[in-house]
Amino acid sequence: MTDQVSRRKFLSMVGASTTGAVLFVACSSIPDEEFIIQAPVELPEDLVKGRDNWFATTCGVCDGGEGVVVRVMEGRAKKIAGNPDYPINLGKQNVRCDSALQMLYHPDRIAQPMARSSKGSGFTPITWGEAEAKLQEWAGSGRVTVATNPIRGQLGKVAGDFAAKFNGKHIQFQALEQGVLHGAMKSVFGADRLPEFDLGNARTVASFGADFLGTWISPTRYSTKYGEFRNAATGSGRGQLFQIEPRMSITAAAADKWIPNRPGMEGELALAVAAVIVEEGLVSDDNIARFTANLPEGALDVFKASTISLRAGVSEATIHDLARSLATEGPSLVIGGGSAGAHTNGSFNLNAIYSLNILLGSVGAKGGVFLNPDSPIDGLPSTATGASFADWEAELAQWRAGNINTVIIRGANIAHGLPRSVNVQQALDNVPHVVAFADVLDDTSAMADLVLPEASYLETWGIEVPEPAPGYQTVGFQQPVSTPARTRDGSSVLSDGRGFGDVLLRAADGALGAKTMKEFVDDAADTLQSNGGGSVTAPTASLLMRGLLQRGGWWDTNARGQTRPKDAPALTNLHADPEFSEPTEGEGEVFNLMPFASQALLDGRVAPAPWLQAVSDPITTAAWTTWVEINHHTAKRLGISQGDKLIIKSTTGEIEALAYPHRAVPPDMLGVPIGQGHEQGGRWAEGRGSNVLSILVDKKDAETGALAWAATKVRIINTGLNTEIAKAEGTVEAIAVEPGVPILVVEPGGNAKETLHHLEESYDPYADPNDN
Amino acid sequence: MVTQQDSPYNWGMVVDIDRCTGCQACVLACQVENNVPLNTENLYKQQRIYSWIRIERYWEGDFPDVKARFIPILCQQCGNAPCEPVCPVYATYHNNEGMNVQIYNRCVGTRYCANGCPYHVRFFNYWEPVWPESLRNQLNPDVTVRSRGVMEKCSFCVHRIRRAERKARGEDRLVMDGEIQSACSQACPTDALVFGNLNDLTSRVSKMSKDDRHYKLLDDKLGTDPNVVYLARVEEKVEEGAAAAHG
Repeated sequence: MTDQVSRRKFLSMVGASTTGAVLFVACSSIPDEEFIIQAPVELPEDLVKGRDNWFATTCGVCDGGEGVVVRVMEGRAKKIAGNPDYPINLGKQNVRCDSALQMLYHPDRIAQPMARSSKGSGFTPITWGEAEAKLQEWAGSGRVTVATNPIRGQLGKVAGDFAAKFNGKHIQFQALEQGVLHGAMKSVFGADRLPEFDLGNARTVASFGADFLGTWISPTRYSTKYGEFRNAATGSGRGQLFQIEPRMSITAAAADKWIPNRPGMEGELALAVAAVIVEEGLVSDDNIARFTANLPEGALDVFKASTISLRAGVSEATIHDLARSLATEGPSLVIGGGSAGAHTNGSFNLNAIYSLNILLGSVGAKGGVFLNPDSPIDGLPSTATGASFADWEAELAQWRAGNINTVIIRGANIAHGLPRSVNVQQALDNVPHVVAFADVLDDTSAMADLVLPEASYLETWGIEVPEPAPGYQTVGFQQPVSTPARTRDGSSVLSDGRGFGDVLLRAADGALGAKTMKEFVDDAADTLQSNGGGSVTAPTASLLMRGLLQRGGWWDTNARGQTRPKDAPALTNLHADPEFSEPTEGEGEVFNLMPFASQALLDGRVAPAPWLQAVSDPITTAAWTTWVEINHHTAKRLGISQGDKLIIKSTTGEIEALAYPHRAVPPDMLGVPIGQGHEQGGRWAEGRGSNVLSILVDKKDAETGALAWAATKVRIINTGLNTEIAKAEGTVEAIAVEPGVPILVVEPGGNAKETLHHLEESYDPYADPNDN
Repeated sequence: MVTQQDSPYNWGMVVDIDRCTGCQACVLACQVENNVPLNTENLYKQQRIYSWIRIERYWEGDFPDVKARFIPILCQQCGNAPCEPVCPVYATYHNNEGMNVQIYNRCVGTRYCANGCPYHVRFFNYWEPVWPESLRNQLNPDVTVRSRGVMEKCSFCVHRIRRAERKARGEDRLVMDGEIQSACSQACPTDALVFGNLNDLTSRVSKMSKDDRHYKLLDDKLGTDPNVVYLARVEEKVEEGAAAAHG
């Protein structure tokens, strides 16, 4: 408040305003300006002074490797936003980005290293010196496995080199593994890394199973491109999106046409689309020749739309529409992933789907697929994916057999992410030394013998190579943007955490080429400076470093991946139906179980952050719990109401979830979000909801051994108990009652005013909105 | 109708529903920026969550020809705001920059404004907001933490506006287009939310607000004259059922 305003003056001003407001009602001849009620006080927001600084760094929450800028005041990080310069996300962010702040200041952050004296005993705090001595001793005994989340760039290299130095291996883990996708990239495009999808310039996009606007691979990047794809122009410039998947994701909701198919039939659908294009000669002969080069003669004959329509549960006309749109309304782009690759025939599905890009001539063409180049810094991995489920089964067998001395775990919550049937606890019990890095204790680190507090990405140095890159070489520079997080009164640090890479480098005692991650960052600046070119150039490495840190990285729009015309691969497994697990015996109706990554919690890695727990799911509006999506007609038939506690049983286990019947679920499917059901994870995550991953049956993709996580059949049993679901939606299902309120829909090139007028003229206020 | 005077600024927003995917990035960015209290499970169950901007989802049709449509709803910053005249203490008022502003230290918590608001975008602090001590490190020092008994709502990130205006004044110029972004529009990955000065006819928001698809929520029925303009979702009429053979 300004000092010049006395209390008396303040009251007189308020009084005058009050009078004016009252008079306004009665007298219309007084000029408007007399009645503008202005606050005589300055807003409190104006009184806050202080200097803020924005530091650029690379985000470590999701897998895509986005660039962020962090607002810091007095050493404390306050806000995270997208780095407008960084080519991956162009200043934008997703719902999870800011959660890093809550993890930085989380009250349950592990304060210091902890160790057990023996398996089963409790943790005792120890010093970093003692912890590092243990780590060195255990790693030095050889037979080491380093298990991490998929990590690229410098951290990925350090983890790999560390494992190799100690006669071990580096194995990576993803709950919803992308090995099938990476396999398809190799098979179809001959590429080791994920390509760039030029969504922004595409006119027709077909996505099979990939929730690319929500949770798949790099949703912020894809969303920025989707905005361009939609374009403000409502006429011919606006792209058309077809989403083919059994469950309605937010990508399906955003699509012009959601095509719910029978699970596992995506590959056959793609070939049915191809068959229409080839039969009708909708693309050039060259493209047809490339597509059919490795197909057996007449192979497409069995994929006629009339046949596949019945098998895939998609109408023949829809298949024809999709084929014609892709072939004639280009540039076209076809994407596949998510549930489409999560079947026993997952590789066949994705190979067939991505091969459509060859038929459409979309590889290397505007609006299509662009292959990404290698890392500009030699030796830095530019791609990473989780090992297959089959590889993990083999690895756990080694642990169980006592063949591994030391397991070092970081970012791989295998106790939560692997099906219960593999028994991670038993495997870890047979490893003499288990070391876990964690910020907040999770289900896996709670089983370790030595727990090391890991610093946030906001507190550490690193070099990230984003995947997918934007079509050209890109490197992200990660720097400590805040001082180590302290208690509110500043008297002590919240966590004496250290960076994963720094701890490994110290344990290796210089054998990995540097003693700190910062040294590697300096080396990278040297390399880029001597190479020259790119987004940041400078006469010296130290000047270049300043520029790199200011901009958050380096990229070179001229350093693009190779694009060459390629024939579609020989598709194998052409006639393999997807296999599903047998349902458990006993009572209850049988359903296909469709787990899906939670919009806020993903696979559960960010579940400790209360902001994300409190984000309502876009489709159901539910939060803080695990729900099960079931078709509302099916639910009615089975006597299931919203909030009913259902037991979902597979042959390997059962979980509980609250029923959420709605109208966008296939009648024979259940959708259950991943992300909850943690035994550990801090005060906001522990004991909340259920872990659907735990009851998945060990069906695998025939080619890669990846977990077919969409291939489990379950039964449901209604317990008869009902609990209110925490959700943003009110007590009545949200259906638009009046035309155009609140969401107005116009046809391409349409006019809102005219559309509203037309709707109001035809509006029948007595009609049942359910009939729309 | 209250006219805007003495200010070159008339802050407004365009929401392009055709681009909105319902991803919730705006919701969280707003919560972080504005020290909005944590929406606990209990608050959800009491239907009392705080969400200065929220994504509403509406169903249309039935499986398989079903649509889920999303729309971001925030304070519409009405020119004729139903919330303003009902406040007995002038805690809510209209400023000369087109914004409906809440003065927290005046609010006595009658909640008349929330009752009057047809958009349900005012939120009452039934309880003192509580954060674990360490999480208070994150709070934005530019934004007041509201206390129990006070109404709160979207401020168009007024602290960002004030900061930019101060800077522009110091440099003897007007705030430039794109110089201010609200936290939600800054975050929105599809660029569905665009913020700016409606008085500047060359600004992006000004141009977009005149798009053929523009409409204002409930304005034709209630005459609220919002400063938030929506652009309609675009869809071709689909003649053929997507999955007539399903099942």
